[in-house]
Amino acid sequence: MANRGEIALRIMRTIRRMGIQSVAVFSEADRNAPHVLYADEAVCLGAPPSAQSYLNGDKIIAFAKELGVDGIHPGYGFLSENAEFAQKVEDAGIRFIGPGPEAMRIMGSKLAAKECVKHYDIPMVPGIDKAIEDIGIAHETAKKIGFPILIKASAGGGGKGMRIVEKAEDLEEQMQRAVSEARSSFGDGSVFIEKYVSSPRHVEIQVLADMHGNVVHLFERECSIQRRHQKVVEESPSAILTPELRKRMGEAAVLVARSCNYTSTGTVEFLMDDKLNFYFLEMNTRLQVEHPVTEMITGIDLVEEQIRIARGEKLSFTQDDLRIHGHALELRVYAEDPLNNFLPSIGTLTRYVKPVGEGIRVDDGFEEGMPIPIYYDPMIAKLVTWGMDRTEALQKMKAAIRDYHIEGVATTLPFGLFVFEHEAFVSGHFDTHFVKDHYTPEKIKEKQKDNAAVAALVALTYLLEQQSITTPVVNKTSSWKRRLA
Amino acid sequence: MSDPTVSWQVKANEFVIPVSKEQLESADIIKRSPLEFHLVQEHRSVSARVLSAEPGEKKMTVEVEGETYVIEIKDELDQMLDKMGFNTRAHKTIKEIRAPMPGLVLEIAVTVGQDVKEGEKILILEAMKMENSIVIHADATIKKIHVKSGQAVEKGQVLVELE
Repeated sequence: MANRGEIALRIMRTIRRMGIQSVAVFSEADRNAPHVLYADEAVCLGAPPSAQSYLNGDKIIAFAKELGVDGIHPGYGFLSENAEFAQKVEDAGIRFIGPGPEAMRIMGSKLAAKECVKHYDIPMVPGIDKAIEDIGIAHETAKKIGFPILIKASAGGGGKGMRIVEKAEDLEEQMQRAVSEARSSFGDGSVFIEKYVSSPRHVEIQVLADMHGNVVHLFERECSIQRRHQKVVEESPSAILTPELRKRMGEAAVLVARSCNYTSTGTVEFLMDDKLNFYFLEMNTRLQVEHPVTEMITGIDLVEEQIRIARGEKLSFTQDDLRIHGHALELRVYAEDPLNNFLPSIGTLTRYVKPVGEGIRVDDGFEEGMPIPIYYDPMIAKLVTWGMDRTEALQKMKAAIRDYHIEGVATTLPFGLFVFEHEAFVSGHFDTHFVKDHYTPEKIKEKQKDNAAVAALVALTYLLEQQSITTPVVNKTSSWKRRLA
Repeated sequence: MSDPTVSWQVKANEFVIPVSKEQLESADIIKRSPLEFHLVQEHRSVSARVLSAEPGEKKMTVEVEGETYVIEIKDELDQMLDKMGFNTRAHKTIKEIRAPMPGLVLEIAVTVGQDVKEGEKILILEAMKMENSIVIHADATIKKIHVKSGQAVEKGQVLVELE
């Protein structure tokens, strides 16, 4: 299990259920982490920084050989989309639980991906067809397609190295930042530029493909609620897709998978404009953070399917066997402060109590008393709820957020509650600008102030009863007044 | 200039809430168990729970709708003592810029002696794989730079001194 935190734990649970032994890897910062405690075997990779631990593919492969490992699951992030690593794993005679290196190479480069699907009649957003680092070419391209434009790291993902530029004056600074971020995050500074679709929704299709040419889609996930271009809230099905549109998008996604001989789980991301036109964005060649919502509505364990496919088994179902059951929502619980620009909030989980109940799923990798390490992604958990319909899933989610007690760090839980109570989300009329259009920290603050007033009254009542505070004396006159009245 | 109708100053997290005796007496609060209370406030029905209390210190924590409020109460005597003691309302200007989070200094955009305007970029701090521009919120002159690019900093560490 070449990963850490909640995803390592989530994958190892399936591995154990299938009667397979698991080996965890960990950095010196994660010795106490639940994924290490849960595994059958565990190896320390080294110092906390990712480059010396979770990104050290050669070390992971060496340990895997030493311990007689049959397959390596990369999770998401870290080495999960590194084709070179996947190739080395295969060369070492170990199964990489994911797509083949060739499909990863194609889809890992947004430009190669566009080239690959070109022959399949998949709609695409206008933009430049080659990666650039040159500001002059950037200016030229921007002029041609018109502002606003989007700068994206060619090797990117997860919003890193991605910038929107509204006007020509900002292009140079933003371009530099994007190139620099791309270089430090992915080791490749090339970026490409495309037209920025306003009021876009982010709708993606989950696909599953075996090594025998069978490809199915497991419907859509709506991931439009984002901050910093990174998803925070996801749901399936989408509140706006018609069965006809779902079928067309599903078929397009299957074609994208076929275009690169894809195997294992993958996600085809589409951008959707306000007229429900959809454009191919990219394919993510891994399990996604938001995979649980698909699992909840289809009843299929995607990790189990990945392992079966890696073993060479055929898919045990066809497209016609797949149905949507109910509705699922996910909130990513990050150690971030929604009242302070979603900046990372570092600290120790002094209190950590998670919600339990029917239709509530929490994928997490922390326990009370654990610090949030600064070296890795600040996600604490994924909170998922399922209901017979969207309303039921929403009600369960709001209750679950109130029952989720995290102290010691600020989290996205209050932001989640804001989203799930907001009219735009409830009605389904929202796009990726939700945060910009509807969210201000003051709205959460107002609510907290009301609750603080309640807490104040309760505290006074309690302490008066304990006789540890004095009743005021100066107000005796007003008591007299009342008595006389 | 104390308000005669205010009897307690209640600090609940970052909020300071003045509560009068009348307000407390007219509040519709019932006790459901030694630590659980229920309120009807402006027709809103809401439950609250005492998580911990140090009655002697007038400190406690109360949970409302899943959120925890750390409470500190000052009664009239405390407020009077505060007034007799110090009036610690210091003149507030920006004297330094501190790191809002732990991270790595990527780039420093200013030099010592430079005059900077409000909103100007001071440096870039990388944290959680994101680059964050740290900007200044007032006009000032850079007095001293305490960090170098490539340096790891802790939350709250002074990055730049101003005058």
